[in-house]
Amino acid sequence: MKRLPLEGVRVADLTMMWAGPFATRVLAEMGAEILKIESPRAWDNVRTLLPVEHPEPWNASLYFNDYNRDKKSVTLDLAHPRGRELFLRLAALCDVVIENYRADVLDKLGIGWEVLRAARPDLVLVSMAGFGKTGPERDLVGFGPIVEQMAGLTSLTGYGDDGVPYKTGISYGDPVGGLAAVGAVVLALLQRRRTGQGTWIDLAQRETMAQMAGEAFAAASLREEQPVHRGNRDPRWAPQGVYPCAGNDQWLALSVRDDAEWRALVAAIGAADLASLSLDSRRARHDEIDARIAAWSQAHDPQAAMESLQARGIPAARVLDTHDIHWDPHLLAREAWTFLPHPCMQPWPQPLSAWRLQEASPKPRRHAPLFGEHNREILCGWLGVAESELAELEAAHVIGTAPLRAGVG
Amino acid sequence: VSQETRGELPLAGMRVLEIGGGVAAAFATRFLAGYGADVARSEERAGELTGDEEAALLPGKRRISVSDAELRALALAADALVEDGKPGSLAARGLDPRALRAEKPSLVITSLTPFGQHGPYAGYEATNLVAHAAGGIHSLTGLATRPPLANGANQAWKLLGLNGFGATLTAYYGAQLRGEGDWIDLSAQECAAGMLELYGPRSAMDGVPSPRLGNRTNAVWGIYPARDGYAGVCTLQRQVPALFALIGDPELEQPRFLDPMQRIRDDRELGEKVAAWFATRTRTELVELGAKHKVPLGAVMTSLDLLSNASLRERGFFDEVETPAGRARVPGRPFLGLPWRAGALSAPGADTDAVLRDWLGAGRAR
Repeated sequence: MKRLPLEGVRVADLTMMWAGPFATRVLAEMGAEILKIESPRAWDNVRTLLPVEHPEPWNASLYFNDYNRDKKSVTLDLAHPRGRELFLRLAALCDVVIENYRADVLDKLGIGWEVLRAARPDLVLVSMAGFGKTGPERDLVGFGPIVEQMAGLTSLTGYGDDGVPYKTGISYGDPVGGLAAVGAVVLALLQRRRTGQGTWIDLAQRETMAQMAGEAFAAASLREEQPVHRGNRDPRWAPQGVYPCAGNDQWLALSVRDDAEWRALVAAIGAADLASLSLDSRRARHDEIDARIAAWSQAHDPQAAMESLQARGIPAARVLDTHDIHWDPHLLAREAWTFLPHPCMQPWPQPLSAWRLQEASPKPRRHAPLFGEHNREILCGWLGVAESELAELEAAHVIGTAPLRAGVG
Repeated sequence: VSQETRGELPLAGMRVLEIGGGVAAAFATRFLAGYGADVARSEERAGELTGDEEAALLPGKRRISVSDAELRALALAADALVEDGKPGSLAARGLDPRALRAEKPSLVITSLTPFGQHGPYAGYEATNLVAHAAGGIHSLTGLATRPPLANGANQAWKLLGLNGFGATLTAYYGAQLRGEGDWIDLSAQECAAGMLELYGPRSAMDGVPSPRLGNRTNAVWGIYPARDGYAGVCTLQRQVPALFALIGDPELEQPRFLDPMQRIRDDRELGEKVAAWFATRTRTELVELGAKHKVPLGAVMTSLDLLSNASLRERGFFDEVETPAGRARVPGRPFLGLPWRAGALSAPGADTDAVLRDWLGAGRAR
């Protein structure tokens, strides 16, 4: 069996919420060993973000368990001297430390870059605060939607007739920052291989997000261009849009890139009278064309409509909602979902790694860890903490198997 | 933090062949070029990128125009091949990925497509909108009373390219360690389908699709009109008291607003209070208040706003690049800490001779 690229890489993971945990989920998928470190006093908030009916809600969070699989859980109160000391010993056994705290937190905990590199000189530290470690905006608190707004992307998204910018429907800044952080980790590991030196990466999630709209900066700097809201249309071709289908909130997206696709579309929707329209005419009469396409699509099931247009070579897809996507025949044929048994939850379809290394074939191996599940394995096995000390550490709340005073939110 | 962007580039010596020329492949190799890889871009589909996209995605790359036989030789001289053609298009030109891998086991091949290399939709036609629709994010964006709304700047292709960057580099690391590359099948649909926040897993569990929530997930997580544009707030429960203290309305000290479970019931009323507070303040005021009081507040900024942003300037975020339309400023290094080069924008085919000579030897130059 071929080995995964990051087998043998150990990561001390201080990240919380979504951006960092998304990064370390991908690192785990690629074979890295992830030690997720939380404190009984300051746990990953995602565990308790929403109310869950379970005696241990922090172990039964769908949101947490989807993005933290294949990791090990160690609890350490980093604000406690013994917790900090154990963390630094653990960091010395790791290749990478990754954190997505607000910019000032790591230093306040006394485990900033200088301290960490003293613990292990060739360590890679990836910090991924919303706005970076330097600059006048470093103190801003940045969750994904704020990162997206502050990076320029939100300003580019809109229907066009109401002047309103719209946020992406997910906290888009988080996984985008997370994916860039994976690149940063590997780049720093490659650098370490060449030079023997560690690296501190200062990743600002806002800056990685701005990369996703790079051409808008070219447009602004060359022509002082302001955002244009195009709805679902495209400046290069017409028609393009999203059209209602039979059923509740069912939609079909389609594009017509050239005259041949246009002739194929009008034949499919019974609009032969429009067959000779040029690109310019199609642009000018886009609203009228939209109404003709909608009149056709409303009578059709979105899956059937997609398949019939694709059979004619027209780019089309149903807008898959968050339920139907788990039953999409294509994703099912690609075995894109997998079920992992979990001690506190019914299994649910979880995505395979999107990074399909066809030979190494990454597969999720194990459910997300219970809170503090690997305390003994790591603290005693790796650090040589005496079994007898574990109870003392637990009594002092340096470690634990449940968050202290867990509420909701 | 070391703001060092000079010094020996971390990917110096890495050779990357980019075949295809769409946004996805161009994005995937953009950071590789910036961090020092020698990226040779073979443009198969002329004119696919706009001038602005070229300015943002092509600096530091060499642009070649070669025969299929030369392309194959270059692929075997490369460390990584990144392509965004249709499934089967490489094989049709004599560059079958499995054959290339057999001939050069350390080669990393990254294939970027809308739907992946196999499966019922593998041969489907797609644009950015179509690929985005299939990935799930589209269904969540915009208003419940209106059609799903695609976000700006071709995000299906960008997200595919961002995954391509990380995956290529990760497989290259494995190849450096063990001499074995891989063939990576990346699908735009899957890149999105696996990152649907809580909405994806929750719908998978309870069978109910998540609705579009527009700009208001709830009263303390959304975007509001400000005096001079739009601004946002995203507070967790632990930050709610600080937000309410800023708003300064004594009614907000009641448990029906402070308690997260009760707040859901009075969300609309709370939203009106938050909206009124935002409406009298500018975006700059809101961002500064957020930083000062540790409340997650932000503002909807345009790229024009950001070109003069003090943080981005101090951190040296933008690179300058000469383009046929003038000097552009575009996002530079994605993160700080490693040497980076800004790179110039080359012309189509301008580097063919040089790449053939450098990669294949003097005898192969034209």
